[in-house]
Amino acid sequence: MLNYRKIRIMHKLAVYENKEGKEDIQLSKYYKTDYVRYQVLKSIICATVGYALILLLIFLYQSEYLVRNAVNLDYKTIGLYILGIYIIIITIYGFGSLIGYSLKYDASRKKLGRYYKLLNRLNKIYKEESPES
Amino acid sequence: MIQLLVFRERIKNLYQRYDLYIIPIVKFLFALIAFETINREIGYDERIKALPVLLALSLLSAFMPSAIMVLLAAFMSVLHVYSESPILAIIVGIIMIILYVLFARFTPKLGYVLLAIPVLYTLKIPFVIPILLGLIATPISIIPTVCGVIIYFVFQVVKTAVTMQVNKTVEDILLLYTNVIDNLTGNKLMILSFVIFAMIILVTYFVRKMKFDYAFEIAIVSGAVTSILGFLISDLILDRSDEIISMILGTIASAAIVYAIHFFRFTLDYSGVEYAQFEDDVYYYYVKAVPKITVTAPQKNVKHFNVKNVDKNISKTNSYNYDDADIDDYDEDEAYLHVNDYENDDE
Repeated sequence: MLNYRKIRIMHKLAVYENKEGKEDIQLSKYYKTDYVRYQVLKSIICATVGYALILLLIFLYQSEYLVRNAVNLDYKTIGLYILGIYIIIITIYGFGSLIGYSLKYDASRKKLGRYYKLLNRLNKIYKEESPES
Repeated sequence: MIQLLVFRERIKNLYQRYDLYIIPIVKFLFALIAFETINREIGYDERIKALPVLLALSLLSAFMPSAIMVLLAAFMSVLHVYSESPILAIIVGIIMIILYVLFARFTPKLGYVLLAIPVLYTLKIPFVIPILLGLIATPISIIPTVCGVIIYFVFQVVKTAVTMQVNKTVEDILLLYTNVIDNLTGNKLMILSFVIFAMIILVTYFVRKMKFDYAFEIAIVSGAVTSILGFLISDLILDRSDEIISMILGTIASAAIVYAIHFFRFTLDYSGVEYAQFEDDVYYYYVKAVPKITVTAPQKNVKHFNVKNVDKNISKTNSYNYDDADIDDYDEDEAYLHVNDYENDDE
């Protein structure tokens, strides 16, 4: 005989697993600190690459000026500027990712909690069905 | 109105029944339109423009996640530019990578916005995206929207830049490069467009979140009004008064499209609002529940009654074998029904 309660729960679980659950389950493999640290690291690397590319574009744009004044440029100030902006960007991206991905992790945990509750219920139904095992 | 609701129900039923086929078909069409627009706008390479390539790419996009479609479109446009001017292609590639690593990677689910905005820009209805995103997403969608606007303007600049004759000397290449960057960074229209698009998203989003009746519909209208006012001001500032009519028409069309999408998502029935109040240990709840309008599409069953044969049929019904249950709920209408069944069987 069909157990409609079980089917309904299994259907809900399957829908969740197929859509948003995929990411949540993936996330659940990490500890929060590990996950957030990993994402922050990724953000910082991406920000560095982006910043480097922007610098490259600016350098090419100003190349004529740079080449002409190569001797009397104040490299120290330029270097400090580049470093300062880099630190600002890294801080913004780092903290942004820290907050953003922490929130994301918590939200996914919450959803996963509901998922586990349903799994438990399903488990109970299985046990009820086969009490001897 | 009721016909529209029935129509919506029909479409929904159709979609639910055949979504396995409809989704790839819609994705295929969207990819086809997007790639075709790219070909028409910057189709410099005849090989990529060829119909089999176009169809193959669209088909691939139909069965892949939307990120793949965006990636394919990016590759395609860079290759088109490459065939005309490798230097420009490198610049475009670098700008795309910067946009991705600094901004777009944070909103992976809205990747299609990056492709949709340039495509809709060429169709003169880019306003669909900010109004729609204000309605269904959060203000974070400003990030991909702005990236989409940048991509569109990059290609506008590239289109004018490829006409420049470039020799292979370093000076010429640098000249071309500084020209592109000057045109991009000095593009006031682009900067105003960012601001206005962001404002449309914010206005639509905050109006939608408000707690009065018809908030969704009013949000669409206010988004459209923000767009019209914003671009009106920008067109007047930048002296582009010839664009005003097409902008207004485009905005109205965009609002209509968004309304249609909203209509298919759900329509709320404000006449059936229910208020409920209850409490628990910590809070007192004032709940306002607005029912969604749902109608069931009527099933049309056509039955033919042949007047001429009524007498004959009645005599036939006498020979129909009823069991006890049939006799219990026998009535006159049903008699005709059985008659009819009988006739069909005969045929």
